[in-house]
Parts: sequence; structure tokens; C-alpha cells
Amino acid sequence: MIEATHLTKRYGRILALDNVTFRVQRGEIVGFLGPNGAGKTTTMRIISTYLPATGGTVRVCGVDVLDDPLAVRRHIGYMPENVPLYPEMRVREYLRYRGTLKGLRGRRLRARVEEAMAACDLGDVRRRVIGRLSKGYAQRVGLADALLHEPDVLIMDEPTLGLDPNQQRRVRDLIRSLARRHTVLLSSHILSEVEQTCERVLIIDKGRVVASDTPQRLVSFLRGEPHVRMEIQGPADAVVEKVMALPHVRNVACETKGGWQHLTCRCARGADVRPALFALAAAEQWTVRELRLEQSNLEDVFAELTSEQGGEGVASPDAAGREAAA
Amino acid sequence: MRNFLAICRRELAATFLSPVAYVTMLVFLALSGLIFWYAVVTGVGTGEPLPTMLFGGVVFCVTILVTVVSMRLFAEEIRLGSLEALMTAPVTESQVVAGKYAGAFLFLLLTVTLPVGFPFILRAMSPGVASLDYGALLGGYLITVLFAAFALATGLLISLLTRNQIVAAIACFCVVWLALLLGNVAAMAAPGPAEVARYLSAVDHVLAFSRGSVDTRPIALYLSGTAFMLFAAVRVLEALRR
Repeated sequence: MIEATHLTKRYGRILALDNVTFRVQRGEIVGFLGPNGAGKTTTMRIISTYLPATGGTVRVCGVDVLDDPLAVRRHIGYMPENVPLYPEMRVREYLRYRGTLKGLRGRRLRARVEEAMAACDLGDVRRRVIGRLSKGYAQRVGLADALLHEPDVLIMDEPTLGLDPNQQRRVRDLIRSLARRHTVLLSSHILSEVEQTCERVLIIDKGRVVASDTPQRLVSFLRGEPHVRMEIQGPADAVVEKVMALPHVRNVACETKGGWQHLTCRCARGADVRPALFALAAAEQWTVRELRLEQSNLEDVFAELTSEQGGEGVASPDAAGREAAA
Repeated sequence: MRNFLAICRRELAATFLSPVAYVTMLVFLALSGLIFWYAVVTGVGTGEPLPTMLFGGVVFCVTILVTVVSMRLFAEEIRLGSLEALMTAPVTESQVVAGKYAGAFLFLLLTVTLPVGFPFILRAMSPGVASLDYGALLGGYLITVLFAAFALATGLLISLLTRNQIVAAIACFCVVWLALLLGNVAAMAAPGPAEVARYLSAVDHVLAFSRGSVDTRPIALYLSGTAFMLFAAVRVLEALRR
């Protein structure tokens, strides 16, 4: 659906994108992550034909964005960052105008406007002037606009920016429901949201793709070993010694606070040592106050890949292979 | 064509939905009415035809009108960011420029047409006024509209070059006044350039046309000038996204 090959973009002497290559398959929901200024918006603008690339190619549904930008625009529903709308227009009037620009006519235009408003829950505000809408509603008008002509590809730059948690959840549900009929590429700073919504994540930093894989695989690749945290009452030395003796436990850190031993056990990948720990505590008659498995999340991966000291250029083996193949 | 019409309709609607349009229209009418009234009062017995008195004033008021109408055309789109949404819809740069220009021009045309009624009102109120020269009235109206069309295209191009409406307005106002008075200013210079510049003087064109002296050269000048400005605007819009 989207194929970006060796994409480069320069703004004067600033290199915004440096040889970016990735592919998005039909029906995928791909999250585009990166710190501010990493090149996410530039990439989205190039795909949506708003900006030309300095080098490389982008093909959307098999069409090169430079060869036939109008054909590409017919395949794409683009929701820019901050959702620029005309404040003096009414919601339905705006959507009808946008639908006309996107080639919809007559009954089909009316039907699609109604469907897009229903999908984005805009029925109550259809006659409201856009300038008087809340941020959440304005965001949904932008989303309805992107959906109007039933595009094959949806590109959304920060679709939940400025929304309250309830609105974020509604937009997230809506995006997930779109995956059946559309290919979705979205950028977001809310990592938990990307983790919940997207099947695959592209992490971009300083204009380069540094990782591309499913959120779960990225997490397991970078922080493969899970941790178990435990708060237990017992003699510190004996606790450490017996826990270390358990199978799959690689390392134990112990800290005593207020008579309780706070243990952090690093375990082998894929192993869950909690039942063994509980059985040990029961056998030794140690009191257990807390026992939980801690997995790394996408936020840790993001920080590791994009921080100054982070693993620049680190990508999961799968990502490297996939991008090389692309 | 449908995209052009949709953009034109939106532009026209946006103009009429803004109170600025009505205030501008009112100020334009009041100012051109006042200038016409003053010209009539001071011009009694001079033999100056009414169309000359009318359009000699209207053309100066057009500069304000054009400035206000054109300043928001693209500068506002760039400031709001809506240009990005517009240019990622399946529309061409030419359709966007032509649609926006046509929408603004229709508003301008309506507003410039209204003062044409002044001489008729004057005649209805003063039976002493001689019959109107309709040819001269039409000629004056034609050249005023052509000059307004050229000035609007210039303003549209300027509004593409900045995201600040005030900067667009000031730049447009200066350029349009330069176009209006270029011939008169150049007339004070050496005779050679002055002679050439006189051909470009919008004031001279309006005065000549509203006396009934219709010349095709100014018509060609404003039509080709408008086409050039719109062509340049399309190119600038393309270059803006690089």
C-alpha cells in the first residue's frame, strides 16, 4: 500500500529525512513514533503529496507520488496535525465542501457525509459553526473529512492531540475499527495508545528509521528479560540465597526497607517464576506483601532508541531484515 | 470544473460570512459616494461628464477594497494551516488559484457595480442634470473593473508570499497605488520614460474611458497583467510546498 524507498528530504542545509525506507501492507495499522523534529510530519507530508522529497521514491497503491499526485490524493485520506478547519463554516457544510473536492457528487456525497458524521459521532453538532466546537469535536471533524471518500490509505498526524481521555479512547476505537477497510499510518506521542492501537510500530529518530516491528517484539527484543518484584518479610541473606537457587532466576537485587525485603528478580526470557517464588515463601513461612511481574513497555523502547545516549541505529533483527527487503 | 466551482463558492461564502465584507462594502460606498458628491458640487459648470466624476473617485476607493479582499485569500490559509488540507485533496494548484480568485472577484464585481447607481440617483433627485452618456458610463465601469481585476490578482499573489495578513495588506496597498499612479509619477521624470509610463497610468485610463474614449491597449494591458499575476500565483503555490 505504502512503499517509501531511500526517502531523503532537505530543508536547506538541514537534513530532515535520511534514506528512510519502509513499507506498509494493506489493512495494517502502523504507528509512527519519534521525538519532536524526528521527521514524522515531513514523511507524512511527502506521502500525502504535500511536500516533494529531495531524493527517493514513495508509492501509494502502486502510484508514485511525483508521477501522479492527484491519483495518490484520491487514494489517501490525510488528517494534518492540529486539524486545520475553516472556522466560519458549519460542520455539514464543511464536509460537503470537502466531499465535493474529493470527487463525491449528488446522493453519494450526501450519503457519505452522513456516514462519516455518524462514524465520528458528529450528529449532534452537524449544524454548529466549526469555530465554536470544542477541540475534541474539531478533531473528529478532521477525522470525518479524512474518511469521506473511503480512501484506501488513512494518514493521521497526531489524531488524538489535545483530546481528553474519553475522547482519546473513542478515537482509538474508531481507528481500530477502520483497519478492516483501510490501511492506517498514524503518528502519536502517546505511546500507550500506539501500543494498544497499532499492529506495527515505526520508530524514527533524526530522520532515520531506527526500529520497525510489532510493539510486543520490539519490547521483548530490547528488554527481553522480565522482572519480578516482590516484597517479603524474612532474613535478607536467606531470601536472596534461596530465590537465586530457583530455576530461571538469573539475578536478584535486594533492598531492606522498614523490615521488608524488596526483591527484584531478573528471570529468563519467557519464564514466569511467580508460582515458584510463592511456593518458596509459603514453605519458608515468609510473609509476602507484593508479587508482580513487570514487563517493559513501548515507552522504554522509545526512550532507549531515541534518547541521546540511547542505542542509535538499534533495530530489531526483524526490522533490519524487513527494511532491507523493502 | 467542479473543484473550481466548489472553491469559488466557498470563497464567496467565506467573504459574505465575515463582517469585514459588509464593513468594507459600506466604507467603499460611503467613500465613493462622498467623492462623487464633492466632484459634482465643485465641478458644476466645468463641463466634466458625470462618469468621469464617478469613476475618477471609484478607482481610488477600489485600492482599499482590493487590499481588504485580497489580504486574506492565501495568507489566512497559510496561517490556519488549511492550505495543507486543501492541497492534499485531489485538486490542482490552478483550480485553487482560479477558484479563490473567482470567488473574490465576484464580491469585488458586486461592490464596484453598486456606485454605478449614483448618477441615476442624482438625476432622479435633480431634474436639471443633463442626460447620461451611457457609453461613457459603460466604458468607465469596464476599465474600473479591469483595473480591479488586475489589482486583485496582484493582491492574491502577494497574499501567497506571507502568512501575515497585515503584511499582505500593506504590501498590496503599496503595489496597487504604485500601479495606479505610476504614470503620473513618471511624468515628472525625463520625457522618454515618462511617455512610456503614461501608457501604464491607471488614472489616465479611467479618465479616458469614462469620457467615452475607449482604447483596446489598456484592456489588453489589464487582461494580460491579470493572467500573468495568476500564472505567477500558481507557480508560487507550487514552489511554496518545496
